Amino acid sequence: MTRIETVICIGCPMGCEIKLTVGAKGEITKISGNRCKEGKSYAPQEYKNPVRILTATVKTANSSRPLLPVRSARPILKRLLLPSMPVLAGITVTAPVRVGDVVVPNLLDTGVDVIATGELLS
Amino acid sequence: MNLHEIDVAVIGSGPAGMAAAVRAKETGAKNVVILERAEELGGLLHQCVHNGFGLFYFHEDLTGPEYAHRFIEKTMDAGVRPMLETMALNISPDREITAVSNKNQFLKFRPESIVLAMGCRERSRGALNIPGTRPAGVFTAGTAQRFINVEGFLPGRQVVILGSGDIGMIMARRLTLEGARVEAVVEVLPYVGGLIRNEVQCLHDFDIPLFLKHTVTNIYGERRVEGVRVAEVDSRMNPIGGTERDIACDTLLLSVGLIPENELSLTAGVELDPVTGGPFVDGARQTTVPGIFAGGNVVHVHDLVDNVTWESEIAGESAARFAMGERIPAWAGIKLKAGRNIRYVVPHTISGNEDVTLYMRVREPEQNVRINVGDIAGKSELIVKPSSMLKIELTSEQLKKLGKNVTEVVIDCQKWGGK
Ligand code: SF4
Repeated sequence: MTRIETVICIGCPMGCEIKLTVGAKGEITKISGNRCKEGKSYAPQEYKNPVRILTATVKTANSSRPLLPVRSARPILKRLLLPSMPVLAGITVTAPVRVGDVVVPNLLDTGVDVIATGELLS
Repeated sequence: MNLHEIDVAVIGSGPAGMAAAVRAKETGAKNVVILERAEELGGLLHQCVHNGFGLFYFHEDLTGPEYAHRFIEKTMDAGVRPMLETMALNISPDREITAVSNKNQFLKFRPESIVLAMGCRERSRGALNIPGTRPAGVFTAGTAQRFINVEGFLPGRQVVILGSGDIGMIMARRLTLEGARVEAVVEVLPYVGGLIRNEVQCLHDFDIPLFLKHTVTNIYGERRVEGVRVAEVDSRMNPIGGTERDIACDTLLLSVGLIPENELSLTAGVELDPVTGGPFVDGARQTTVPGIFAGGNVVHVHDLVDNVTWESEIAGESAARFAMGERIPAWAGIKLKAGRNIRYVVPHTISGNEDVTLYMRVREPEQNVRINVGDIAGKSELIVKPSSMLKIELTSEQLKKLGKNVTEVVIDCQKWGGK
């Protein structure tokens, strides 16, 4: 049994709809619809392991700024984006915070930290 | 620093202003200041908490605040003096700046040169003429972005977004992550207004419905938005009778385009291009007024911050050279003309003897085209879209082929093979 999966390439404004033929064991047997090489390497990776950088904010305590912007230090699985939000909602940071400081270590056991992308001066 | 010894004054401290100021310093200008009306440097980057900044300039995927942070450090290290909470009110044609500030009250000074780096602002509801009531709950996407990312308020729980510009799509994702429900993104054109990356990662990732060739024809609600009416449009963008449907929502966001912010440029007598909405500039990014330069979104609206930075570095370098006594004839040289399916080209003129990067946008999406710069250079593209700025780099060697007496070069977007 094979099935067809579609991935839209974000490599250029063309946005090719790339069709992946996937075999019974999840192996990719055919790639079509890409207009250039870039899509050929992007599509299988985006299909097997779609990851994204999570960007959001957390609350602050002793600062004139109500929020501190944060990100996942590395991309995390796409399906973990929404489940990460309640974790961040439970966090309040206290100044001083510098860019790159860890705000949440090991987010949802991904091994990826959430880090500050902005500064909070005390 | 004495106000009367300022060499280069930069108006605005977003990515354009900081890049211009740093480069002006590096080029050798002694006293460089940035006038910024907010309390800190960085401009809009602070509220753009998403990533995608600096992929080309830093070869890293940074968020807006991180990109700002890098440039704030560069600005301070370079010895640029920030004048915060200082708002320029007027620039005279002979470069006298009038400004007000919390600390220094009323200021008047005349720097040797000026870089305009005021950026752009959003088109608002007034510019769109949507009929209906006037309830609370209608925001521009950028205002909502500030509420959510800086102030800490959710502007609504059930949202319709008109326009598929990048900020609108990015807000669709942000709102969804923060627990609001985005009912639809409505786009009047047959294609998405922003980057494909944002369509995939902001709309598809969260199954947000996108209605192309649709528009909002009415807004309901007395005190607060209660819903909007959405209809399909025909090829002339007129709503088609019988296709209307109502969508319940408490918030309508507008992401329908950006306009370069040039009120100050006009006070200085800088001539604006009606197509870009920004100043006419030459290759050095000098405007039609000698000694006044411009870079970034104040010149033309960019889709990538990296290009804003590069363009503003040119403006900063030129402003420093002018401040140090070099005279660049204002807005002279070879005229670049937008030809077939080209909406505009920046710069508007080039000297013809220096390497130059041309930035341009097409009018209509087209596939398999070649962008020709006269007959001296060209670049093939699988696809061109109005939302993606095109860049062509020309070397002085290529430009030599133009010959001596050329006064104008036409940039054309031709179907591949045709001419
Ligand atoms: S496959 Fe190539 S042409 Fe198609 S979207 Fe990706 S990069 Fe662009």
